[in-house]
Amino acid sequence: MKLEGLKKKPLQTTRLTRDEVKSLYVRHGATLVAYARSYGLDHASAEDVVHHLFLKMLGKKTFVLQSPLAYFYRATRNASLNLRRDRQHETDLQVTQSWFVHPSGSLDEVLNLQQALRDLPEEQRETVFLKVWSGLTLLEISEITQTPLNTVASRYRYALEKLRERLGKRLQTKG
Amino acid sequence: MAFYDEDTERYLHEFRPQTIRELEVAPRQRKVSLRQLTAAAAVVVCAGGIFWVTCRELKHSNEAANVQTPKVSLTSQRRHRTTVALTKLALSDNEGFETLLTEESRKSLPNFQEEQSALKILAKD
Repeated sequence: MKLEGLKKKPLQTTRLTRDEVKSLYVRHGATLVAYARSYGLDHASAEDVVHHLFLKMLGKKTFVLQSPLAYFYRATRNASLNLRRDRQHETDLQVTQSWFVHPSGSLDEVLNLQQALRDLPEEQRETVFLKVWSGLTLLEISEITQTPLNTVASRYRYALEKLRERLGKRLQTKG
Repeated sequence: MAFYDEDTERYLHEFRPQTIRELEVAPRQRKVSLRQLTAAAAVVVCAGGIFWVTCRELKHSNEAANVQTPKVSLTSQRRHRTTVALTKLALSDNEGFETLLTEESRKSLPNFQEEQSALKILAKD
């Protein structure tokens, strides 16, 4: 894969309709909730955070954004951190709750992955979510996060390396 | 050769985020802003005003038409009198013609016979 040949495109302004917002919710809502949970929120709170963001967006007639998905990721992150800060006094029970579902139904695998994701630096975690569960290409991630493509590629590569280290035994047993 | 660790990627793809509840979008309620209300009130007032003025104008024009019609007919009668009928009257009935002239002069000229008439006062002077 050649990264040097890919030039950064200028950001485009997007005008979202209500249907487009709903479509974004259907496509990325669950991933955004998992992303919010990676900041330590329980499922209900994470859902509330994401719901609130989308409803806020629906409340406006038109909403012009450079990249709606990037906005949702950033807004989810900020709202989750704010909520987490407000609830610092509460006992953390999220370690045993799952954000993901694995076809085998193994809670161990899920919790292991969650912990590995939590341990990633913020930018790397965001890149993994955007790439793996939101289905964006590295170029798209580069565009919506306004980050050089090489940086995005490095973040993703380092993230996968760290995840492999953490999940190594499980990956080997799969192989 | 793959640039990224495909095994790890494939493994990550096995996981799916937990499903979330549907977005509960409340049905859109039409919010009437104060500005819209004011605009609507202004339109109603203007329309009412225009209607009232139009009605008033129509009423006045009808009244004017009703008043003017007999005048026109009177004038035309007078004109008629002066041209044809008066000539005939003068030829056929001299006394009647004189009476008519007297009546007409009384109507159009100031009254000279009253005590306080301008002519009498001037004559005294």
